[in-house]
Order: sequence, then C-alpha cells, then structure tokens
Amino acid sequence: MGETVGNLIGLNDEVIHPAATLAVEAHNSPSKQFLVKKIKIRHDLSSVVVFAFSGSMLPKDWSGQPTFAKTEIATGEFRSLTSLNDGGDAVVNGSFLRRFKDVIGNLSKAKELKEATEKKRQVVFAGYSSGGPIAILATLYFLEKQTPSPRCLTFGSPLVGDRIFGHALRREGWSDYFTHFVMKYDIIPRIMLSPSSTEHEQILDYFKSKFDRKNINPAPPSGFYLTVMGNASSVASYEACRLMGCRNPSLDIIKSFIELSPYRPSGTYVFCTGNGNLVVVKNPNAVLQILIHCAELGESNTAEVEKRSLDEHSAYLSELKDCLGMQAVVSLDGGPATATLNDLGLSPQAMLCLQAAEEFENRRSRNLENFRKYLEKVEVELEKMRKYKENAQISRLGYYDSFKLQNEDDDFHANVSRLELAGIWDEIKEMLKEFELPDDFEKKREIIDLGTKYRRLVEPLDIANFYRHSKDKETGAYVIGGGPRPKRYRFIQRWLEHDEKKSFGSRSESLFWADVEQLGIDIKKKGYLQEIEERIQQVERNLIAWIGDRSLDDDVLLENSTFVKWWRDLPPQHKPKSDRIEKLIGEMSERVTQGTKI
Amino acid sequence: MSQAPLFSSAGELANLVVNSNLIDVAWANIPEIQIGQAAFPCSVEPMDYSPTPNRTIVVFASSPNGTQYPLPEGGHLVQSSLFQFLSPNECPSVSINRAALDLFTSLESQLHGLKTKLIEREGQLIITGHSLGGSVAALFTLCLLDSMDKKSKCRPICITFGSPLLGDFDLQHSQWNSFFLHVVSNKDPVPGLFLPSSRSPSTSSHSQTSVYKPFGTYLLCSEHGCACFDDPDLILKILTVASSEVSGELQVVDYGEMLRNLKNKAIWKGPQLAGERYGNSFSEGIVMELETIGIDTAKLNIDINGMEREARSLTKKTKASEAKKLNDIKKAMANLEWYKKKAEDEKKSYYDCFRNEDKKRHVDAKNFMEELTIYWEDMVAEAERKPQKEGKSFRTGWLFAGTTYRRMVEPLDIADFYQGGDGRDYINSKRSQHYKLLEQWYKEAAKPPTREDLDSKKKKVSILLTEDSCFWAHVEEAILSCQSLTNATSTTKQRESSWENLVMFGEYVMEQIENCAVSPEIFLNGSTFMKWWGEYKAYIHNFRNFYSSRLVEYMKRGSYNQYG
Repeated sequence: MGETVGNLIGLNDEVIHPAATLAVEAHNSPSKQFLVKKIKIRHDLSSVVVFAFSGSMLPKDWSGQPTFAKTEIATGEFRSLTSLNDGGDAVVNGSFLRRFKDVIGNLSKAKELKEATEKKRQVVFAGYSSGGPIAILATLYFLEKQTPSPRCLTFGSPLVGDRIFGHALRREGWSDYFTHFVMKYDIIPRIMLSPSSTEHEQILDYFKSKFDRKNINPAPPSGFYLTVMGNASSVASYEACRLMGCRNPSLDIIKSFIELSPYRPSGTYVFCTGNGNLVVVKNPNAVLQILIHCAELGESNTAEVEKRSLDEHSAYLSELKDCLGMQAVVSLDGGPATATLNDLGLSPQAMLCLQAAEEFENRRSRNLENFRKYLEKVEVELEKMRKYKENAQISRLGYYDSFKLQNEDDDFHANVSRLELAGIWDEIKEMLKEFELPDDFEKKREIIDLGTKYRRLVEPLDIANFYRHSKDKETGAYVIGGGPRPKRYRFIQRWLEHDEKKSFGSRSESLFWADVEQLGIDIKKKGYLQEIEERIQQVERNLIAWIGDRSLDDDVLLENSTFVKWWRDLPPQHKPKSDRIEKLIGEMSERVTQGTKI
Repeated sequence: MSQAPLFSSAGELANLVVNSNLIDVAWANIPEIQIGQAAFPCSVEPMDYSPTPNRTIVVFASSPNGTQYPLPEGGHLVQSSLFQFLSPNECPSVSINRAALDLFTSLESQLHGLKTKLIEREGQLIITGHSLGGSVAALFTLCLLDSMDKKSKCRPICITFGSPLLGDFDLQHSQWNSFFLHVVSNKDPVPGLFLPSSRSPSTSSHSQTSVYKPFGTYLLCSEHGCACFDDPDLILKILTVASSEVSGELQVVDYGEMLRNLKNKAIWKGPQLAGERYGNSFSEGIVMELETIGIDTAKLNIDINGMEREARSLTKKTKASEAKKLNDIKKAMANLEWYKKKAEDEKKSYYDCFRNEDKKRHVDAKNFMEELTIYWEDMVAEAERKPQKEGKSFRTGWLFAGTTYRRMVEPLDIADFYQGGDGRDYINSKRSQHYKLLEQWYKEAAKPPTREDLDSKKKKVSILLTEDSCFWAHVEEAILSCQSLTNATSTTKQRESSWENLVMFGEYVMEQIENCAVSPEIFLNGSTFMKWWGEYKAYIHNFRNFYSSRLVEYMKRGSYNQYG
C-alpha cells in the first residue's frame, strides 16, 4: 500500500500522463505513423523518449481471416515467441501485425530512436486504443534485438496475443516491461475476446466517427454489450474451469464444438476503478477474470452500462490525471485485498475465480520446489552414470557398446538409472505441457545445464537400447520428425538451442550414435548412394566439431566401439577426413593406455 | 500443513455452455418441428442446418402429448438385447425405459439408414431432442458411438432438453459419458418423472423404477442461473428434490425462453452472498452453485466434505504422475528381466530359481512382481468397466506389454503356489482373474502365425519368453500325476486319470516345442521340467516299458539339445 503506479511498474510517474496524452494525440493523427516526445524527469534531470503510434478504427485493421485474424508469429524478428515444448508458436492478431510491419521500417530509422540509444535514454513505446498493439509489438521487436530494454505503455488497448504469447513473454522475463491501463467498463480491451461480428463493426464505426469529427457526437450503438461480453465471459469461464481443475471430461468435448477467442492478457494491468483508485495486477489469469467480472452488470441497467463501456474508452486522460497524483494504488499480487476488490465491485463467484488464479500460481511454485528435491536425485543418478562410463572406458569398449550388450551387472544398473531418470524428465515434460511449472523454468540456467548434461550422457543409452532391440524395424529410424525419439530429449535440446540463440536442430550431438547406427543399416540396405555419402561426411564433420567443443564424449573413439569399427570398414574413398579421425582415435587410445597404467 | 484450496467448477462450466451458443443451435429447430407432431409420437428430422460448415444437426421431435403424458407404465424398465453393448463385462444386462425403447424400436429401420449415412460424415454432429425425443436422441447416439471406430471423422454430441431418465446402465467409466449433455429446468417435472418420490403417473412400479441411473453431464437450470454436474448420485438427489417441488399442473417448459434468460444472467454479477469469504473455496462454491439452481443444500442431504475428499484424490492423478508411473513399471520389468538373466547365467531357469531359493535377490523380485501386479490388475479392471467395444480399443494399446508382463510374472506366481508342496490345481483354484482376461484378450487379438513367423521365431527362440504363462503349472501337475501313479495308496481310478493327464501333457509339450513356444531354459539341468522327465522316464521304464510317444522319443534322443 502507499506505492505509486510508477513504483510498481518501474517507471517514473511523471512519464505516464504525458505518454497517455501523446498516445491519444498520435492515435488521432492518421497522417503520421508515430509521434515522438522527450520528457524531462524533474528530480534527476534524465530524459525519457516516448514514441506513440497512430490508430485506425477500420474493421479491416482489427479483424481478418481466419477467425480472430489468427496468425502464427514466431519467425525472424520474433523468434522467442514460441513454446519450447509442444505448445507451438504464439498466435497474434494478423491485422495488428500487418499494421506494425507498416510502421517498423520508419521507426527503426527514426533519428530520435538512434539518439536515445546513443545517449542511453529510456525509450517508451506508447499506444492508445488500436495504437496499443503497435506499441506492444514494437517493444517486443526491440527486446528481441537486445537493445536496452524499452518500456511499453498502453491505454485502452485491445488484446494482441494468445496464451503462448504471454507465456513466452514471462519466460523471457519481459513481462514487466509492459503496462496496460484499462478502465473498469471500457469495451475495447475486451473486444478481442469476442469474434468479429456486426456488433464489432458498430462499435468501431461509432469510435471512428467520434475520432474523425471531434465536435459532433455520433449516436452510440446499442445491444452489443450482451453479445460481446457474453463471448468474453465464455472465455473467462473456460479459463476458470482449467484454473479450478475441472475434471468433467465434457469440457473438452464442448470446447471442440465452439470456437473461443485465442487472445489472453499479458504484462502488467492497471485497472482504473473510476473512483480515483488504481489496482495493479500481474497474474495473467487474474487479469482475465477481472477484465470480465468487473464489467458485469449489477444494479445499473444494461443500457447504462453499455453507454459507459463506450464513454470510458475516451476517459483515460481525465481518469489518470486524477489518479496518478495519489498513492491509492493496490497491487493484487500476493492475494486479493478486500478493499480494492470492493472498488472493482466483484461478485463472490469472481472472488473464487481470483482465488483459483492465485492458487494456480502457488501450485506452480510448489511444483518447482518439489522438483528441486528431484534435482538431487537426478544428480545422484547422473553421477552413477558417469562412473559407469568411466569404467566402461577402461574396458576399451565404451559405455555405449557395453550398454548395448547388457552383459554385466553394471549395464543392468545403468539401465535402471536410465529408467529412473526418464521417469523424472517425463514427469517434467508433462507438467510443462500443462503449464504446471513456472513460465521461466525452461530459461533457468541450472535447469538447462542439468538437462543438457542428462541428454548428452543418457540419450546414447536410449539409442543403444533402441538399436539393440532393432526397434527401427517397427517404428523407423530413431530420429525422424515426430518419430520414436523420446520427446524429453527434443525439449531439452530446444532449451539449449533457444538459450544459445541457435537454430532448431543445431545442437543434436546426443544423436551422434543414432546417425551412426542408422547409416550402418542404410548402407547395408542401399549401398553407397550419393545421399549416404553426404551423410557419412556429415558424421565425420560432426565428430570433429563435437569432440572439439567437448559436447560429444570421446569414448566414441575407443578402438572397439561401434563407431570405430564401422568407420574402419568404410571404403577409403568414402572417408575424406580419414587422417584427422585416425589421429583422434590414436590420441584416445594413448589416453586410455596411460589412464589404465595410473 | 494446510491443504491447497480446491474448487468446484460446476458454475463456470455451465456458464461456458450457456454463453457458447452450442445449446441455442441445438434448441433452435425443435419448437417448429414439434408443432407439426401432434399425430405421431415421435419423428426424426435430420437436417444439414449449418451456420458453420461441417456441422450436421439431427433433431428428434416428439409430440407434446407423448411428452406430457408418457405412456401408461412408461416408467418401466425393460431388458434390451439391442443395447447389450452398453454393458461392461462386469455386469451383463441392460434395461431401458420402456416408452423410449418402444419409440426407438418403432423407428429402427429408418434410424439404421440414418446412422450409416452420418457415420461417413466429417465434422461436428449435434444430435438433439426434447423430452421423450431427447431419450430417443440419446439411444440413437449410443448406437452411433458403438458403430464408430478410430477412423470415423464425425464428432458427435448429444444434447437433450427436459428428457426423462433413460435406463439402469451407467457410463461413469466410459469416454462416452462426455458426449451427453442434458439440459434440465427446475420447473420441468419430466426429468424426475420416473423417480420414486415424484408424483409419477405409474405409481405401481416404484421398486422397479428406482434403479434408474443418470449418465452424462447435466446442465441444471433455474431462473437465477445454472450449473453443470456429472456425479450420478448428486444428479439423482437434485432431480428428486426438484421434481418434488414442481407445483401444480404438469407444464411444458419453454427452453428457448429459459436459455435467453440464462444468457442475460451469465454477465450479471450474481447473488451477493453474505458471510465469510475464503472459508473453504470448495464448499463455498458448491453451495453457491446449488443455490443458483434453486436447491436448498440443507434439504439435499449431501456430503460436501466427502465430495471434496473425492475431488482431492482425483487431482492427484495427472498426466505427469502417469508418465512417472509408466516408467516405474518399465523399471520393475527391467529388474525382473535382469533376475531372469542372472538365473540363466547360473544355468538355471528363473522359474526354478524363484521356486527353490530364498536370497535377497528373490525378495526384491517379489517386490517388483507385486508392484507390477497391482498396476496390471488396475489396468484390467479399468478395461472391464468400460462398454465392451470401448474396453477393447482401450486395451489394444497395451495388450502387448500386458502379455509380456503375464508371461514374465505369472510363472513366479505359479512357483509361489507349488513351492510349499501342497499346492494343487493352480489353474482352477488360484489363477487370478486378470491373467485369465489378459490371456483371453491376447487370444482374441492374435493373428494365426505364418510360416515366416515360425522361421524367425526359431532363430531367436533363446530370448523368447515361454508363451503359455501356465506352462509351469502344467509341469507341476504332471509331477503330481507321476507321484500319484507310483503312490501305493492311489486307487486304480486315480492312476488311470493320472496316466491320462500325463499322455495329454506329453502331447501338449510336444506341440509347444514344435511351435517354438517354450523357452529352452526348461531343458536346463535340474529344472522342474527335467525333474518331471526323470520321474516319468523311471515310471515308464519300470511299469510301461513298451510305451512311447513323440515327446518320449524326443527326450530320449536328446533332441532338446538342439532346441534353441
């Protein structure tokens, strides 16, 4: 309590109102793509540079095909906006994306932006109404480019991205850079939760004529509230079912018969309650529930609320002027505070939804804590594996081949460890799919490191097991898209690639053995075709590179290993890198001899 | 530590349904069709009505007469062979409400054609009906579900409005349960018509009608709001209370009007309840949901704490925990495989190893065995509770793993049984039901082996598990037969039957050998099988010197040394 909005969102309070003013001005200046203004902060004399974007109330700039103008985004400049497990790429509104793409060329070239970067000034991208989505996408664009973190302020902005979009923002730690101001009844921040319809067009038309001809008051449409909020409410109910752990299997069937809006809030939301208080909420599930429930009908009649839902879209400047000076700001995170919720006028059912949203976050933290207990176990098992590998090296066979033979007690114990570890990582994989772990889990250093260690050490054993039982005959090669390779390895590899900003599939050193095994099989089947020859060369290149950067274990080079035997049997004309690899094998042999002597 | 809060999502689910237009679409065409229905009790009106492509709607309309005054004794349940497929293996008979069944049967030929046509379609299929029409819609949907297979691209949902209870079967363990949505107004007497406490016209048959069971999800509505429940007991209680409170004449509820009202209510703040917030989120939610649909919780006599306990136990079962479980099972199997391998290294069959020795290794094996048995007993029981066809497709996914389990673990159960020396007739007296079912299902699913299969089997017979998981039980019985033959106290009759058993056993073993169906480990020195052979050989030598059989020749020649 007693904090200002600026404190809570990490931006000086003095910036907010001028930014809002500029955003409204820019929205109504369609001749310019954006406006720029430098704002001096009084107490430390630093400057903040605000870019605000123009808007459009044409239906074609809000909606499109397919329904909800759904467009997958994660390519090129938005490479982070994707799920690192099975969730696919983030979906955004394609019409907003198109408008952003129209602007970004000129924005990147703007001299004010260059100057701000040079002088290390804080950059803020701001947008009012349909200018909001452009501000959001522009902020993301520069966050991806790793320019000094820009901020984003929106006022009455429609929703832009889906659940994966928000998940990716939180995973990357960018969520806090986005702040969205929303009036209690404003229809625009809710409009994207409903499919485009005649009601949409009525609303947009109304604002268009209002913004175009400032002096004339157009007649407000009516009858839209029930449709738009009804659809929005079904989105909130669906999410509430998931938060509440609905176990009725009909939920999935019913969901498959209806099309809900994919869009969800992300970033920090500041709700303007209309009586001078501001409520700051970061939990995205809570934001969604508040968006719907605080705009529900109460004692006032429908027509009244409907009118308010239009009027409030134009009330940000006056509302913020009144609120920002005061310190009547309450953060909802860490449990709903009854007093504030009274300001939002939430029903008991809404309170249960908020409690469920909070509990969902708590559960994710608890799951993470539980996982930390597992971490130790993973370490213990990996240590056993490491010892196993060491011992196998002394026998000059290597742990891959030793495991494949399954002759010794050690091999069996390694197999039990392999299954033990698979259980733990499979459980994590399923939890990630269900969003049951914190969003930044896949970005945590210690998790990526542990996962990579696991993948490099244990996946060869899964491959050995696979080819020991000739499973390729049933399922095809170990590595084919969506094939038998366990998903846990695919995910863990993706975490590393994402972290190192490398392309998908570039960190496949743990698949070395699978390439070798499959090549052996394919050569027997097809002979030395062009394609096979290329694959042999690739294996040689990979070997040299991965031994070089130590991502592949050197025991592939042991004299008796499947690899060395196979490679030695290749006709010399198929081994362009023969000298280099013979040398590596020789060095390995020496190392082992010395090691055994000691 | 205090437990994490739980929630009841009945209200939210209902809100989703009401706001989604799904039920408006289902209802939209019913009133119109119903008006033209005075003369016939029921008709079918399949239509390609689609605001979105790939959607088919089938409407079953019944006459208002049939709805208000169900046929005399319409509440009777009659056994129906037509719906036999609904019964899980567990309980074999199914009864259906007579009025609904009669209507359905009278339309059967027409419906058969419709079913064949619909199953070919792609996309959404909404099957709907009001009152008795809804009952027929549900019966039709059940038949449709039974005819569908994995290749079917049509996705059905059955939505009924104010339909009476349909039968005594329950679908709680079936995926099918989720395809049914029953919309019921608290003003509508029809859904509770056949319940004992209501003023059912067929008062004579209470005892018979009380076995009705709801299935699917119920969207229960009042003028204040709605809630979705799928717990059959709770639904029964609610229907009973609601139908006892319906006052005055039997009236027809206008579901269209009701839905319009509910849509309005959905974006209303709802009742502002006095009292402690954050008491218990689960009971707070349930009480609110029940009050919304016009039920006084005090009258209902429900155990909210019990419901919460059950919900809590269900939340523990997640995909994540199941992934872990599956790997645990694999781990236990790997341990048993290793146990088997260790025995082989010592030149023993793992059967004999387990039967005759008692070291730590064996204690471990026993633990893994128990873990696996619990898991597979559950899997088999789950398959058993589903309607026959669904159970079958459920189990095909894991039948292969289940068979490996049976072949690996059942011999150990047999070893345990005969170990003490006084076990007799394992197969009939002790064999667990889940082994019997696993074997039966395997036999139903297995294809007859081809020549090539046998050839490839010959090559790798050394690593195969003995196919008949009761093989060792037959061996043990054969030893007992040998003993009975040489036992001075045996009667002639006993001896005759023992000899007969041994002749049959010989043929059985020879057949297994020829089919490469036994593991070569049975021929290892000192195995129970070789022990039998020793006793048998001695008996023949002493008492039936001229007897021979293919197995006797095979064993005497030592051909088994070349086996595997």
